[in-house]
Amino acid sequence: MSKRVAIIASNGGLFDAYKVFNIATAAAATDQEVAIFFTFEGLNLIHKEAYQQLPMPEGKEHYAEGFQKANIPAIPELVEMAQDMGVKFIGCQMTMDALGLEKADLLDGIEVGGAVTFLDFAKDADVTLTF
Amino acid sequence: MEDIKANVVLDAKGLACPMPIVKTKKAMNNLDAGQVIEVQATDKGSTADIKAWAESTGHQYLGTIEDGEVLKHYLRKSSGEEHEEKKHSRVVNNAELEEKLKVDENIVLLDVRESAEYAFNHIPKAISMPLGDLEDSMDQLNKDDEIYVICRTGNRSDLAAQKLTEKGFTNVINVVPGMSKWSGETKKMND
Repeated sequence: MSKRVAIIASNGGLFDAYKVFNIATAAAATDQEVAIFFTFEGLNLIHKEAYQQLPMPEGKEHYAEGFQKANIPAIPELVEMAQDMGVKFIGCQMTMDALGLEKADLLDGIEVGGAVTFLDFAKDADVTLTF
Repeated sequence: MEDIKANVVLDAKGLACPMPIVKTKKAMNNLDAGQVIEVQATDKGSTADIKAWAESTGHQYLGTIEDGEVLKHYLRKSSGEEHEEKKHSRVVNNAELEEKLKVDENIVLLDVRESAEYAFNHIPKAISMPLGDLEDSMDQLNKDDEIYVICRTGNRSDLAAQKLTEKGFTNVINVVPGMSKWSGETKKMND
């Protein structure tokens, strides 16, 4: 039986994106079933334009060099890998409505759903994480 | 340092977490059960990660060699072999073999695991003869000798014992379960 990992992504910075997608890809590579629920600022992480230019936390811009030096993959690269390995992305309908976002603004291949869509997946999860 | 044979070499050098794992997973999909992969990485976290990954996916982690900056991880793809039925009729358990090794100087012990598995850990007296090479190498053996065959879980050695018997070896004994539970003396890579 494969394990199930349920992740809530509710913040929209670059560091948040790495936390979410690193764990998600690592879990998927370990044959675990992964779903991420993107809500509030977390929607940035799957927004077609925004996810290519996610901001570093204020005052931490100097870390950019370290990321390059350590050859950390870019977020779009991690996202592609995650989707390749079957990680399920769920955009939060309520947040999208509130922020005036359409499904077309978000990455292809995502689902849109409400809290219950995520909870239905999460009720059988072995690991639940919030970022 | 002796060379370890792998079926596939994966270059994950210069990549940061979680890329070595993701690449390993992808490469593993293209391997046949029982084959060995060498994963070359420079990410220092990869040793712990690869080990944990193998544990949760059921593949066999053989070991890691440091070669300067490069970490070479060796993994063997699992085949679910633990559940297969055994057929060769003459069998001893690990403890019986251990006793035998103490009293009998002339014992012939064949280790039919992959050479990478052998390199990391084997019984000092054991001769490495991977199952895949057995047919070509068995000429080196004497058909009337008492030959003990060992692998990791008793499955490959079972096949080897059957093959040897089929080829006219008269005194072949399979050791179960084998190296996975071996508590006797061994020779390791770094000894």
